[in-house]
Amino acid sequence: MKTPAIVLAERVLKIKESRAFDIRSSVMPTWCPGCGYFGINQGLNACIQQLELPHHEVVIVSGIGCAGRYPFFTHTYGLHTVHGRTLPAATGVKLANPNLTVYAVGGDGDGLAIGGGHLPHVCRRDVNINYLLFDNSVYGLTKGQPSPSSPLGTKTKASPAGTIDRPLNATLLALTYGASFVARLFAGDPKGITAALVEGTKHPGFAIFHIYTTCVTFDKVFKTWANLKKWVHPLPEDHDPTDRRQAFDQVLEDDFSLGIIYKRPY
Amino acid sequence: MTAEHCVIIGNGPAANSAASTLRQRAPGTRITMIGRERLHYYRPHLLPDFIAGKVSEEELYVAAPPFQQQCELKLRLGQSVVATDFRKREVVLDHKEIVPFDGLIIATGGRPRIPEPYQVFEGLMHTLKTPADAKRWIEKLDSVDSVLIVGGDLTSFRVVNALLALEKQVSFILSEDSFWPVPFGEEVCTQASARLKEKGVEVIECRRIKRIARISEDLLEVETDRKTLNVGILGAFFGLVPDVKFLAGSGLDIERGILVDEHLKTRFDRVYAAGDCAQVFHPGMRDYWVSIGYHNARTLGRIAASNLLGGMFAVDVAPESIFQMDGVAANTSWWMEF
Amino acid sequence: MPVVDVTVEVCGMAGDGTIAAGGLINEAMSQIGFSVLGFDSYPAEIRGFGRCVTHSRIGAGEIHSPGERTHVLISLDDEQSKSRVPFLAENAAVFFDSNPPAYIRENKSLVAEVEPSVLLYGMPFRDLATDVSGSARGRNLTALGGFCAVCGAAPEVFRRVIAEKFEAKGDKVLKVNLKCFDAGFRYAAKNFSDRMLKTFAVPMKADGPAKVMMSGNEAIGKAALDANLRLYFGYPITPATPIMEFLAAHLPLRGGRVVQMEDEIASLAAVLGSFHVGSRAMTATSGPGFALMTELITHGVMAEVPAVILDVQRGGPSTGLPTKTEQSDLHAAVFGGPGDSCRIVIAPTSVAECFRYTVRSFQLAEKYQIPVIVLTDFYLGNRVENLPIPEATEDEKADGNLYPDASAKDAYKRYLLTDSGISPRALPGMEGFIFAATGLEHTESGAPNYGPDIHTAMTEKRHRKIQRALADLPAPVEFPGPAGRDVGVIGWGSTFGSILDAVNQARARGRNVGALKITSIFPFHALEIREFMGRCDEVLIPELNYEGQLANLIGHLHRKDVVRLNRVTGIPFPPSAILSKIEDLVAER
Repeated sequence: MKTPAIVLAERVLKIKESRAFDIRSSVMPTWCPGCGYFGINQGLNACIQQLELPHHEVVIVSGIGCAGRYPFFTHTYGLHTVHGRTLPAATGVKLANPNLTVYAVGGDGDGLAIGGGHLPHVCRRDVNINYLLFDNSVYGLTKGQPSPSSPLGTKTKASPAGTIDRPLNATLLALTYGASFVARLFAGDPKGITAALVEGTKHPGFAIFHIYTTCVTFDKVFKTWANLKKWVHPLPEDHDPTDRRQAFDQVLEDDFSLGIIYKRPY
Repeated sequence: MTAEHCVIIGNGPAANSAASTLRQRAPGTRITMIGRERLHYYRPHLLPDFIAGKVSEEELYVAAPPFQQQCELKLRLGQSVVATDFRKREVVLDHKEIVPFDGLIIATGGRPRIPEPYQVFEGLMHTLKTPADAKRWIEKLDSVDSVLIVGGDLTSFRVVNALLALEKQVSFILSEDSFWPVPFGEEVCTQASARLKEKGVEVIECRRIKRIARISEDLLEVETDRKTLNVGILGAFFGLVPDVKFLAGSGLDIERGILVDEHLKTRFDRVYAAGDCAQVFHPGMRDYWVSIGYHNARTLGRIAASNLLGGMFAVDVAPESIFQMDGVAANTSWWMEF
Repeated sequence: MPVVDVTVEVCGMAGDGTIAAGGLINEAMSQIGFSVLGFDSYPAEIRGFGRCVTHSRIGAGEIHSPGERTHVLISLDDEQSKSRVPFLAENAAVFFDSNPPAYIRENKSLVAEVEPSVLLYGMPFRDLATDVSGSARGRNLTALGGFCAVCGAAPEVFRRVIAEKFEAKGDKVLKVNLKCFDAGFRYAAKNFSDRMLKTFAVPMKADGPAKVMMSGNEAIGKAALDANLRLYFGYPITPATPIMEFLAAHLPLRGGRVVQMEDEIASLAAVLGSFHVGSRAMTATSGPGFALMTELITHGVMAEVPAVILDVQRGGPSTGLPTKTEQSDLHAAVFGGPGDSCRIVIAPTSVAECFRYTVRSFQLAEKYQIPVIVLTDFYLGNRVENLPIPEATEDEKADGNLYPDASAKDAYKRYLLTDSGISPRALPGMEGFIFAATGLEHTESGAPNYGPDIHTAMTEKRHRKIQRALADLPAPVEFPGPAGRDVGVIGWGSTFGSILDAVNQARARGRNVGALKITSIFPFHALEIREFMGRCDEVLIPELNYEGQLANLIGHLHRKDVVRLNRVTGIPFPPSAILSKIEDLVAER
């Protein structure tokens, strides 16, 4: 008769043998409990496993923000660079060694504010890197300032009277800049993330994954788990991802439809 | 009246005298001197002494740069005037540059004259106008002993002295045409002839040269209507022709030289001529005369410049004579046009 | 036999073929066997008109700086050439068109401007060219022909060089150009037979290795190719753009790639990304672009990722003077950026050194796992010198990386504290050495950590590593050789050539002076510099910047204040100014 301890030990052994968690590094993530980033992490890890990418042939490039720490938590090579320069650094990595699979990760501040000038060009260049944009509409690491995707009127310590700038729509931007693969996802659906990531990784050009996520510590009103779960829904069944005009229409009408919105047929 | 830009065409004694006068009397004037040759201002009357070795090359030149700098004038050498427009008051240089002037003094001097019968022999004859000419004489004299002088102008007598000092054998054909524009009077001719013979010069009396043949590099055979002789150098000294070809069609009155009144003014306002290139009107004679020689040129230059600035100096009708050849004095200034 | 040291300028309007003429002079003189140093100036604006001046100093011996006085001026546009008259030496020769298409008024005339001692050679360039070719376009070659005849330069070499230059344009064009050249040559030989200068008619032997004319920027480009550059990332900026364009033409032929990025920040980020995975990359910029790279440079220092950055300095600060030369980025290169972020800074002084140090910079960056900054300037980048084709040795090109041993697998510490300060570096793709490079302070394994002991240890490690680099960096060189000096002149960058000329001239006058060339700006060889200064009474540091940036860096090594000599005139330092200061210092003693 197996004691609970033995059952547990066997299970751990099984997990170890399955190597399912090898993708995780020995460093525990520093994110707050309940942070949406855990879900994204799960999704990307599963993607790497599913594609059976050798871990030493994957490079994760990150910038500054809560997402910046990402490479430390994954058992792949990493490059933690400066604020906003994730995309050009990732470009350098991929062009230098095309055999590596490159994931760039960053928040909405890193990607749309200081890094905003690089987005159009990485779309134009269409280098085969995969960009995960963690959009929680707040600057979490610096404790709660508004971000480029915060809605009008967002009240924070930095904007007590509410923001007066209108928010950017990252998906729309990516489409406008001519990105060849655009997906919109939700941190609460790691499986959906994995599915899109697998397809996007296989896509031979630049792939951007605009992922809605939460900041449980600093955003209690907008992108909460409750709100997001309520708002998000899949793309219509008949959505044709190869139709760019349709993609624009979809995104202009609907902020929360999820899936692969556009994929350029080569 | 101060002219703003005064242009002086020439770089000889008359031109330089005019320039220094202008500078002294009108310090604010901008002065440009245009000389066709790439030569600094030299004393032409010293050339025979230079040939004789009595004067060094340095002493030939009037300390050029400092003098010019003292005058604060723009010296343009190796450039020549090819046209003039007295209405627009501009001169045009050979490289198509237009130089406007407020006042103009033409002091281009003259070039050695070769009269018609001798022009066919021009290539074989040595003249003496510039230091380069003198150097050619010196170089040639190094390897020859005999010289035949044809002509008889002021310079020729000084050259004879130089050649004798160098112990060369000198023959002389006095040509009545040589003291142009004035013919040699019979009396002066005889006196000059006698004097030359006294010095040991062979004076050949003939009417013309019939033929010249080059026997070798250093020997010419000259056949006259009287006798034939072999000489090393053949020198031509027939005076100067005013250097005024470039003024043809300009509107100035030109005979052999530029015709000016007794104030050295041409028919155009503030345009003057001075030196060997000018023919000056004599009110008493009611005709034009030529003033030649270094000192006269300097005087005329001074007068032209003074008058350009508003003076009314007339040329002294009896300026100094400069030619003295032991006992035979010729007054160099009073000559009527031929 | 007087030693040939002649400066020739060709001046014209854009479109006159000025630059082509100057280039032909450089090439021909180089092939005859002379040393040549050329430095042209172009119109600042793009409009298609504006003054072009080519400037070639030609000598029988070594040449280190541009000529201060011009001995021959070839004028293709008299109005533009007037600006060059103040620089004419006494008895300079000026070639100009004696039959211009229109009359020129005195106030616009070149001939009216020159001193009487100047020798004028008026030739009807346009007419001669039109007579033999039907158009005046080849008049620059006609002028060259005249110059060649008068100055006694071998015409067959010029003809050969013209053929080489124009053969790509077809036989017809080539024939026409040669005819234009010949027409000018004949005219001058006939009309100036009494005024030939024969400046270059000295026997020169063109033996030894074949020489090419090469600019500093080209030398850098070739160096990068030789060092097996794989990727160039850059953003256009005067005066570094030619490096990018040179590589854009040549790098793809060697399997590499040039990518024009959206700004300088992206350029350096991509360079760091490339080196992170072991591929040699480079970027070249100037002051304003360099300023943008500051943050990423400090990132390279902290994360210990190599990079090679060229800063071709220009007038500053800010947008400054894009087409003028200056040496005012030393502070920024050595100290720019927050934190204790020292990095390697090298400054070549000649075209040959541009090649040499750029080749070595890749290896240095890899070995010391740090950004290496190579400082040149507008003058050095654009000037041409003739030199034997530089080649990189195998040693110079070799991979400088220190890879981890197999024994470190699965327990790999990227930032291992070692005596040398250099931690073996794995490259992404290598199995068993997973790590993340980071700009945060970190433990030996690379995990972010802000503890006092860790930061101290890591900061010491990074500085220790840099001091080690001294052994691999070029040491200061003394001219003519070690001795006690009344005045020791220290210099860096392109100014050193002017210093060498000035010191040689002072020595010819009997002054006891010497020069010290510094090419390793950081780390600098304090011991050697102090030793030199110890043997000098006065130390003079001439620089093309206002404060004296090198003086600020090393001045403290002298027992008294160093004497600073500063200029920000935008042109190369004139040797005469340095000589004058040396004389002052000698007189004061």
